[in-house]
Amino acid sequence: MARNKKEKDLDLAPSRYEKKGPGQYVLGLCLGLYTLFCGLPILLVFIAAFTDEKAIAQNGFSFTPAKWSLAGMNSVLKYGKQLLTSYGVTIFITVAGTMVGLLVMSMFAYSISRKEFKLAKFLSIYLLIPMLFSGGQLSCYIIFTSVYGLKDSFLLLILPLCVSTMNVIILRTYIVNSIPSELMESAKIDGAGEYRTFFQITLPLMKPSMAAVGFMMATVYWNEWQNALLYIKSDNKKPLQLLLVNIQKSIEVLLNNANVPASARAAMGGSIPQYSSTMATVIVVIGPIMVAYPFFQKYFVKGLTVGSVKG
Amino acid sequence: MKGFFANTWKHRAHVVMALPAFLILLFFAYIPMGGLIMAFKQYDYTKGIWGSPMNGIDNFKFLLASKDTFLSMTKNTLFYYVIFTGVGTFLNVVLAIAIDQFVFKRVAKTMQTIMIIPVFISYAAVQFIVYAFIDTRSGIINQMLGSNIRFYTTAALWPWILTIVKMWNSVGYGSVLYMSVLAGIDSSLYEAAEIDGANKWQQIKHITIPSLVPMITVMLLLSVGNIMRSDTGLFYQVTRNSGQLYKTTQVIDSYVLNAIFKNSNFGFVAATTFFQSVVGLLLMLFANWTVKKIAPENALF
Repeated sequence: MARNKKEKDLDLAPSRYEKKGPGQYVLGLCLGLYTLFCGLPILLVFIAAFTDEKAIAQNGFSFTPAKWSLAGMNSVLKYGKQLLTSYGVTIFITVAGTMVGLLVMSMFAYSISRKEFKLAKFLSIYLLIPMLFSGGQLSCYIIFTSVYGLKDSFLLLILPLCVSTMNVIILRTYIVNSIPSELMESAKIDGAGEYRTFFQITLPLMKPSMAAVGFMMATVYWNEWQNALLYIKSDNKKPLQLLLVNIQKSIEVLLNNANVPASARAAMGGSIPQYSSTMATVIVVIGPIMVAYPFFQKYFVKGLTVGSVKG
Repeated sequence: MKGFFANTWKHRAHVVMALPAFLILLFFAYIPMGGLIMAFKQYDYTKGIWGSPMNGIDNFKFLLASKDTFLSMTKNTLFYYVIFTGVGTFLNVVLAIAIDQFVFKRVAKTMQTIMIIPVFISYAAVQFIVYAFIDTRSGIINQMLGSNIRFYTTAALWPWILTIVKMWNSVGYGSVLYMSVLAGIDSSLYEAAEIDGANKWQQIKHITIPSLVPMITVMLLLSVGNIMRSDTGLFYQVTRNSGQLYKTTQVIDSYVLNAIFKNSNFGFVAATTFFQSVVGLLLMLFANWTVKKIAPENALF
């Protein structure tokens, strides 16, 4: 595949000389409409979170609510302690998972990128097979819970997602294509050991690819709900996404059973979790990724591209 | 052979560095593969996976006997694969070309940022957003149309809803890859075409699209290996796992997830996942073999 000439503008086409004719404005209009299609649903979350609960109950969701209110945001505090705990859990899993993953994957990528290392070939194949064949959800569930005896454990939220073939390939491709091997060789001639060469020469140079892979991994960890739903039982280990799933489930239960006793309602925080407070919770859950993303966009667009160029 | 061991010993530092990832893959990818043997066993929770007695192909017979469920979810899985891949690829390419052609680069960049954001929202959150649009009473769509459509109980509407949600989620992100190919096209090609009197459409038809074809081919072929797997969150969360919608929304992955929660007949489920894994493997090998024929430099192995 042709290498891109303009590395700097990888994410967008090089600006050619072009006339800004009427066609451009039509195109702009279409793109604008599509942008709205992507952006409006997210905007609705924000609007609904600040809409008065009664207004939603009477008139439904709206982009132009009859009455604004901070009550939804305030009632997020109702989940108070659980929300805080879940936030902590999600942050811990995201940070720990991304760090551990980046470290072990970049070490693995470095090892299999060494030409003089004969075992590398076997390791590459070993890396590739899980992409082709997997045990599937059920095997994983049975093996993790009954063979390893892991249940309700952070390990199950972190380790299964930690090493992914595609990410190792991206890192390896970056090492092969963008870090001159002369650097590593000269470090060795100067007397640096293997580990020192990797940690002090190679690892710092891998930053751009690590930023890309790291951001993608962090997103995966942040958004992970399936393993949490399968394995996590206790409240103090619930990540945010599982909290969202639980909120939805409890709404459903209450809606489907009109005769839920008042005591049960009281136990769930006084009332049915409501529209605006639910949306406020959604904001709390998706907020950090949306704030972080524009800063990483550059890297992650590059990372995607790097990964597609085979080394 | 001796040279190999000597070489490995000499590079033992590399072995040590590869070891952590090696072990993680071993425990969380390779050993679960062994769990597929359950497809040939009468699973008994008390005896565990190795202690349960073998029962040959009974599970598969059962699979064929209750073929309605099995066929329906396999059909749905394949159906959504075809729709998502077909529509998705088309929209990815169209969007990539549109942004590439747009001359106001700053505006394009901002738009692109917004278009990519949905991919970072988990389906656990997306389902609340979808709910705000399609709820019978308070949903935006019913209010705008003044109608009273019961989306969550009308199975026939869901292929449309799921396709729209999936496209909303993934097209912005998916187009990035194609855009990077477009960025690599030599701009003198366009200049030459313009001098020769080609208009915009002719340029797109004869320069832009042909240069995207290799990437499209590769992406399509590589996705073939995932034909039996689905975006579980989309089918489990966005549909609110509603039983009335299963006819059009139950895919293999969401079925398995439900089965695990219900603790239902694991033999049947195991036979299903075995089928899923093996078909996935065969298709992947076939796809790679095809890529190798067409564009060897893009083959995976």
